[in-house]
Amino acid sequence: MKIRLSHKFIVAFLVIGVAAVTVAGLLIQRELKTDLTIRIEEEMAAGARIIALMPAAEIARHAGELAERTRARLTLIDAAGRVTADSELGDQETDDHLNRSEIQEARLRGLGKAIRYSHTLKKEMLYVAIPLREGSRTTGYVRLSRPLAEITLTIDGMGGAFFGILLVTVIAFLLIALLFSLRMLSPIGKLAAFTGKVRTGNVSGTLRIESRDEIGQLSKNINEMVTALQEKIRTADDEKRKLESLFSGMSEGVMVLDAENRIESVNRGMEEMTGRSRGGVIGKTLLEAFRNMELRDALERFRESKETVCEEIGLGDDRSVMMDVTISAVRGEAAGERKTMLVFHDVTRLKKLERIRTDFVANVTHEIRTPLTAIIGFAETLQQGAFENPETARKFLRTIRENAERLNRLVDDLLTLSGLELGEAKLHLEGVRIEEALDQVLAVVEARAGEKGLTIRKEFAGELPLIRADRDRLAQILINILDNAVKFTPAGGAIAVTTSPDGEEWLTVRIADTGAGIPKGEIPRLGERFYRADRTRSREPGGTGLGLSIVKHLMTAHGGRVIIDSTLGHGTTVSLHFPIFRDSG
Amino acid sequence: MEDKRHTSREYERELQEIRDGLLYLGALTERALERGSQALLERNSVLAREIVREDEQIDSLDVDLEEKCIRLLALRQPAARDLRFITTAIKITGHLERIGDMAANIAEKVIILNDLPQIKPYIDLPRMVEIGRGMIRKSLDAMVREDIGLAKKVREEDTVIDQLNDQVFRELLTFMMEDPRKIQVCLYIMQISKSLERIADHAEGIADMVIYMVTGKSVRHKPASAENG
Repeated sequence: MKIRLSHKFIVAFLVIGVAAVTVAGLLIQRELKTDLTIRIEEEMAAGARIIALMPAAEIARHAGELAERTRARLTLIDAAGRVTADSELGDQETDDHLNRSEIQEARLRGLGKAIRYSHTLKKEMLYVAIPLREGSRTTGYVRLSRPLAEITLTIDGMGGAFFGILLVTVIAFLLIALLFSLRMLSPIGKLAAFTGKVRTGNVSGTLRIESRDEIGQLSKNINEMVTALQEKIRTADDEKRKLESLFSGMSEGVMVLDAENRIESVNRGMEEMTGRSRGGVIGKTLLEAFRNMELRDALERFRESKETVCEEIGLGDDRSVMMDVTISAVRGEAAGERKTMLVFHDVTRLKKLERIRTDFVANVTHEIRTPLTAIIGFAETLQQGAFENPETARKFLRTIRENAERLNRLVDDLLTLSGLELGEAKLHLEGVRIEEALDQVLAVVEARAGEKGLTIRKEFAGELPLIRADRDRLAQILINILDNAVKFTPAGGAIAVTTSPDGEEWLTVRIADTGAGIPKGEIPRLGERFYRADRTRSREPGGTGLGLSIVKHLMTAHGGRVIIDSTLGHGTTVSLHFPIFRDSG
Repeated sequence: MEDKRHTSREYERELQEIRDGLLYLGALTERALERGSQALLERNSVLAREIVREDEQIDSLDVDLEEKCIRLLALRQPAARDLRFITTAIKITGHLERIGDMAANIAEKVIILNDLPQIKPYIDLPRMVEIGRGMIRKSLDAMVREDIGLAKKVREEDTVIDQLNDQVFRELLTFMMEDPRKIQVCLYIMQISKSLERIADHAEGIADMVIYMVTGKSVRHKPASAENG
């Protein structure tokens, strides 16, 4: 239990006050009693001396009156110790009084005093005795006595006053104590309340204590401390906010593990990368959260070597999300509290690009080597004498030419593509009638389609707006798409070419075939160079594997889009969206 | 007080070590299965041999984990929930070890199969591997999250694997009847299929143990349908 300081003060004051008054009272009472006794004794001695001047017989006769005048009991004792007169007992017999201490003392010293219990009167009495002398002979004793109660009563009478004083003192001390607590302890209370508030984290406001003593100094110090603290907290907050925004804003995923290897915090980047909410992973171990052995192994390696570990790890159920993971220690932690930081860098896209590039190199080499091998092979055969036979020689030369042309096309396509990718291709954009362009291209394609037994159906929607395009490039786009349609549609199939306006801004050309179709998963990869949906299919003669890639780039350069839609076994539809030409001068 | 807290933290850490050990073992077996499937599809015997070798790691981890469990039982005398967890963990590690053995068996068969002509494209086996992997994963997820619903789902999936196994069996039977020269290949494929079916059974066993761990009730040797009814 908390005892308040003011209570302590009040109790202390009360104890001191009561003790002081009591001790003082007792001392005064004792002093008074002694003093009073002495004075009464002296008064009685004086009376006795006066009485002693009278002859004994006179005293005995006027005993009553004398006793009344001296307000005491008067006893006259003769030299033999017999009581000859007594103001209160009359003439009744008493025992020998010579052995009484006051009488003895009076006989020896001329004045005897005693306080003792009187058996005759049955009370505590104060006795004073004086010897009666005739010359040097003692003829008797005058003894005056008063009941001691007289004094006690006087003193007791003072007791009331004493308690009065005590009460007044206590009240006065209480008032002083209260005043003291108010004046002196209230600032201490304020100090306590203020520091308590600061301790719980509310570091604001100042302490207002107007005082020039130590408490004033203390409050001033505290105020300065709080101000300094506020400043420190503000700086720390700023730092923390900066770090936090850095932490959550960075695209890398960051994760901190506590000393028990449990996930302590993750940033937003991490949440986005893994698709796991913060709440779902915090407090778990890496294995619990990600169920990934490699990650755990990497952490284990870090724990053993204490050196930063960098590793590429596939995350996710099928390990398809490639992560560059860096594991390092969090510095500046208290000894023993060893935390670990994991930084995740998503390299899935990079990996994909890398694969596309290596695929591209492999493909280009392959594409170039195939016609080259044919050319070299046929040339060698010719050299070895095949040209002797003109029929065979002609056939071989045709093949060589075809392959050389294919190489040429490949180089052309590659140049176009790289030009497009570098943004060097200059488009001569003008208003083009799409029907015209289609008719021109179809004239070329229809012949080939006819050979294969395909039917081409045209469906042009009435009056169409002009599109914004480069005439030659447009032809290239259309030929590539239609060529593919012819190539991938088996004999007896059909190709439908339809045009339709698409809102105010666009015009769509749809080329649908009834070919084998492309699996859904392959569609996004179709634009890749040399990518073939069906890898096992033997290469159709003439195709460079760059057609769709070029179309995609050309359409982008035109400000349009290509959308490929396919159902496996039912055919493929390629939609070309061209922007409409606006003659803005 | 300080000492007591320290001890309880130590104890918590040991429990976590066992939990993590199970997950690690699970991930190892999952990977063995996944690679087994890859080795089969790509006819990659090098990879298959690696899987057979890695089984040793699974075995030693199993022994390790079991020892840890027993030590914890002896030294800490866990009660109630923790006791159930540790006894469950001992059982689960046994199941995982068996799954690892099965995966190694499959890899051995794959090595043999790769030297024989392929009679048909594998469609059902990779599916069984996928489902089996999913079952292991889910059963351990159920353990971590103490999720009975998930554990029950694993139990149900076992029937899918059983059906696939029957289907593979029937299909191979027709192949064998048609052409006795295919019998050898078919028998190996059947063994793989059977191993996958056993793996699913072990995953179901893990799920059963998770249900026991959470509820304290044993559902072993009871069909999944009866459990729901």
